[in-house]
Amino acid sequence: MADFKKYKWPIITIVVIVGVLMVMLTIGFTLGILSEDPDGLEKSVIDAKGGGEEGEAWIEELPSPWEPILGGIENDYIAGIIGLTLSVALMMVVFYGIIKLKQKNK
Amino acid sequence: MHIPDGLLDLSTIIILWIVSLAVIALGFFKMGKNFEEEDSDKLIPYIGVIAAVIFAFQFVNYPVPGGTSGHLVGGTLVAVILGPWAAVIVLFMVLIIQSLFGDGGITALGANTFNMGIIGGIVGFYIVKAIVMILNRTDLSKEIKVTISTAIGSYIAIVLAAFICAIEIGISGNIPMEVAIAAMVYWHLLIGIGEGIISALIVFYIYKTKPELITTEEMLGVK
Repeated sequence: MADFKKYKWPIITIVVIVGVLMVMLTIGFTLGILSEDPDGLEKSVIDAKGGGEEGEAWIEELPSPWEPILGGIENDYIAGIIGLTLSVALMMVVFYGIIKLKQKNK
Repeated sequence: MHIPDGLLDLSTIIILWIVSLAVIALGFFKMGKNFEEEDSDKLIPYIGVIAAVIFAFQFVNYPVPGGTSGHLVGGTLVAVILGPWAAVIVLFMVLIIQSLFGDGGITALGANTFNMGIIGGIVGFYIVKAIVMILNRTDLSKEIKVTISTAIGSYIAIVLAAFICAIEIGISGNIPMEVAIAAMVYWHLLIGIGEGIISALIVFYIYKTKPELITTEEMLGVK
């Protein structure tokens, strides 16, 4: 990973695409073109549990063994950026480990 | 399609955790030569990009008529790019991050990985492969064959994953099975259209810019 020249284009690609995704998130949240409606599973459960507020309340009250540690972030844009960064970092670390392990075992 | 905590019963949770972890472990050994060659490191930055794309597209919901919304699942898309076994691992990681935000339950992580990673990724990949086989009889170019197959395969995989998800919810007893299946399949017949279009556009874009990143051409048998 230390040879910058070798990874120049992959790194540039990462920066560009992550940048585009961040812009996309920003535009989406700013213009409000992204939907606040429940997704397919939530909608199915809400409808099955009486619909509207009654169904939404039923989902809200489902028991969970923990409080999601990043669930308190109110700002969708900030949450999106943190999630994006964490996903990239976690995935690169995990696949770096997998590839090194597989190369070693080959 | 992220199942929250509390919707599945304990036995369903445990069984799907075991199955998903077993497939992830198996996936490590079956990921293929793309991940063990001397220059496989070059894939790592692109895997980071794929993770970002999947997270971003799963995080934001596009409007769907009827008071619901959809988001990309991406299992089939990742499978077409990196292979079906790697797709399960990618989806598992993305789902871990999303569960930290409360999008999908931590106890339901096994079930969500099963639905989106295994059904979406592995099953979706073989649906794409079957469609590629049919399209091989035509004169279409490779990129068009894979793009069309990805669109159709992603769509079918989403509807299938929704069907399986509904069975899991039905078995758990919180919602009658027939109600869960009818609602989940109905809504995902609409939502899946977005999945097919987005997945196909991304595959087509990769073919136009960096076709070697589609590492599964041999596995897909595209001619």
